[in-house]
Amino acid sequence: MSVTTRMKSTHEKPARPPHPLERLFAPRSIAVVGVTPTPGTVPYDIFSNILAGGFRGKVFPVAPGKRAICGVPACRYVLDIEEPVDLAVIVFPADVVDRALEQCGRKGIKSAIVISAGFREIGSAGRERERRLKDLSAQYGISLIGPNCLGVINPDPAVRLNASFARGMPHAGRIAFLSQSGALCTAVLDYAWDKEIGFSKFASFGNMAGVTETDLLEYLHQDDRTDVILLYLEELRNVRRLVDVARRITRGKDSKPVLAIKAGRTPQGADAAASHTGSLAGEDALVDAAFREAGIVRVESVEELFNAAVLCAYQPMPAGNRLAIVTNAGGPGVMATDAAVRAGLAMPRLAEPTRARLKAVLPAAANTANPVDVIGDAHADRYTAALEAVLEDPQVDQVLVILTPQSMTDVEAIARAVCQTHEKAAKPIACAFMGATDVAPGVRILQHARIPHYILPEWACQAMAFVQQVLGWRRRPWEEPQRLPVDAEAARVLLEGSPGGYLAEDRALEVLAAYGLPVPPCRLCTSAAEAAAFAHQIGYPVVLRVVSPEIVHKSEVKGVALDLADAGALRRAYDEMLAGVAARRPDAAIRGVLVRRMIPPGHEVILGGKRDAEFGPVLMFGLGGIYVELFQDVTFALAPVGRTGALEMMRRVRAFRLLEGLRGAPAADVAGIADCLARVGQLVADFDRVAELDVNPLIAGPASAGNVVADARIRLSQRQPSRAGAAEGP
Amino acid sequence: MDKDEIRRRVVKVVCRVLNVTEDMVQPQSHFVFDLGAESTQSIELLAAFEGEFDIEMDEDAALGVQTVDDAVEFISRYVR
Repeated sequence: MSVTTRMKSTHEKPARPPHPLERLFAPRSIAVVGVTPTPGTVPYDIFSNILAGGFRGKVFPVAPGKRAICGVPACRYVLDIEEPVDLAVIVFPADVVDRALEQCGRKGIKSAIVISAGFREIGSAGRERERRLKDLSAQYGISLIGPNCLGVINPDPAVRLNASFARGMPHAGRIAFLSQSGALCTAVLDYAWDKEIGFSKFASFGNMAGVTETDLLEYLHQDDRTDVILLYLEELRNVRRLVDVARRITRGKDSKPVLAIKAGRTPQGADAAASHTGSLAGEDALVDAAFREAGIVRVESVEELFNAAVLCAYQPMPAGNRLAIVTNAGGPGVMATDAAVRAGLAMPRLAEPTRARLKAVLPAAANTANPVDVIGDAHADRYTAALEAVLEDPQVDQVLVILTPQSMTDVEAIARAVCQTHEKAAKPIACAFMGATDVAPGVRILQHARIPHYILPEWACQAMAFVQQVLGWRRRPWEEPQRLPVDAEAARVLLEGSPGGYLAEDRALEVLAAYGLPVPPCRLCTSAAEAAAFAHQIGYPVVLRVVSPEIVHKSEVKGVALDLADAGALRRAYDEMLAGVAARRPDAAIRGVLVRRMIPPGHEVILGGKRDAEFGPVLMFGLGGIYVELFQDVTFALAPVGRTGALEMMRRVRAFRLLEGLRGAPAADVAGIADCLARVGQLVADFDRVAELDVNPLIAGPASAGNVVADARIRLSQRQPSRAGAAEGP
Repeated sequence: MDKDEIRRRVVKVVCRVLNVTEDMVQPQSHFVFDLGAESTQSIELLAAFEGEFDIEMDEDAALGVQTVDDAVEFISRYVR
């Protein structure tokens, strides 16, 4: 389906009531509040940009002490404007913005953009000012963008709004761009202008005192003029809502791709987390997890962002990942093939009828495999014939056209030929006219026709790989995580009765047992005799582990004795352990010694959970030992995940194949591990007080033997007990 | 010099620097919000007050002078 047809079909949708944010992007009238008469200042330039952009509605400058700005009569106060105003753009200095906003509220203006800096970003005085803006917005029901933002642009020919201090109006198009950085916006606009990339909406949202990126995403979801949404983010707040909204956008009948750059890596918290989960769950890993669950494709640069966006916006989605390459140069064809395979694309062998058709129209020396090499002296007719043939091949989902400018290469004619073929094509086409100067005229033709062009075929393949991520997400079945039957009430009683800090091991194991994790029989013993009696009951060999609220890392104080084969060994180990721990940690209150059966060897896996301030409850999985210590081969997800989500998590670690059985080793109880992981996630999600949780290790035996919790730590926060409704149980 | 005289002369300076008429200038008038002072004019105002009253105003303290009344109060502490 061509771009024109796609645009037409979206315009035929039935009318719906305007979204609350519609007047931010398509106002009928604007008051620019705080304009000055001095060119080159932000207040003046914003006003003059609105005029120069050809805004279709009315504009009222509010400029105390001035009769007119740019020939437009000015008012002293926004309250002096007699006509209704849809949108206020406030450009006063920060310390009087609240006065302006308050007057806007009294006038009944429901949308405002505060361009001014000097708020949260400058410290406590600015935070106080920003809080005042939040209060005023809430009081008057104003949808507020900013403060500290570049502004908003709507290139729709029916609106033509440039309420920003970016130069010029961008091309109109179907891509929406939302940015937390105003400065980046100007660079993006300049970049996009050169490549004739058009926007549906363009917004710098600044400090998000009112409207957030998630609010804007919700708006763009229903915006008929937007096909693709791009995000530049520096901080994430209310992540769960962002994930929910983004997921609705990226799945379903009217889904739209969302691609994002998330920049900046926050430092680790001041408190070094004692758990693996706490130390490994840096924000960037959690961003990956959140985006993965939202269907947001994460990219690393503006180049990648737009490389993928133009494919999504200007071309139909491919049916699959099979790529055919048409090239007039063998070397670049080989490089492109390598890049395609590395990017996860398939390079199918063309069907015999296609090859026969190619042989009939190409020189004998031409290669009719994939890539199709039309040879260096190819003109437009050879390109057209080859392109038409591969597009009709049922084994091809998308085509990359490569051109290198030989002396006889008519770059413009070939570009036009590609455009003409594209008009009739139902499959996506991308081009890599390699070079800069000689190919420039042809590149212009392609860009004007909205055919994605990349200087290098590798970039095209990378963009196609991002598109495959979009498709893969849409095809992946998703359902709400199912609750597992647990004894949440028992866990609640145990947790509520415990102070903040690390739970004693025996208590931690009780909590895990309440949530259905495979905890071995164990007992907290306060004498060697008691320990020996219990060991006799459960059978040797046994393990002794000292239990003290002050001792987290037992091995470091020789608080663990393994593989005790009989009562004599147990009693000796018991006495030596207590003496040794007392000497090394005289401050520690010893509650006793936990006795359990020695667990047969198996794969060691780590199941971790923590409660993150921004991301909420998160879950971690990895294989233990060197896989986590050295390779950090772990994966994260937002909890809860359910069994299906848990299994998906497990499959993401590189060492997962070990659990499936490698080189004749028996497979572990993978489904059982997934069940345990899901239960850990449910526990962390159910109880706000669980700040960190490590099951490390869960010993994963063969499928016939099952899994056993060998060690666990739970750290509780000092806050009040679990949230209402959390302990639902079966 | 009494405050009335200070106020009269402050208003004169404000009208001259900000190019506004006296009827626009009230005691509570904010130089930026009510009288349209740009950032350079705010600095000009302070310099003009110094010149008018032959005083030297502490820069940091002068940042708090945002209205006509602020200016009158501030200047009256310098002028005896």
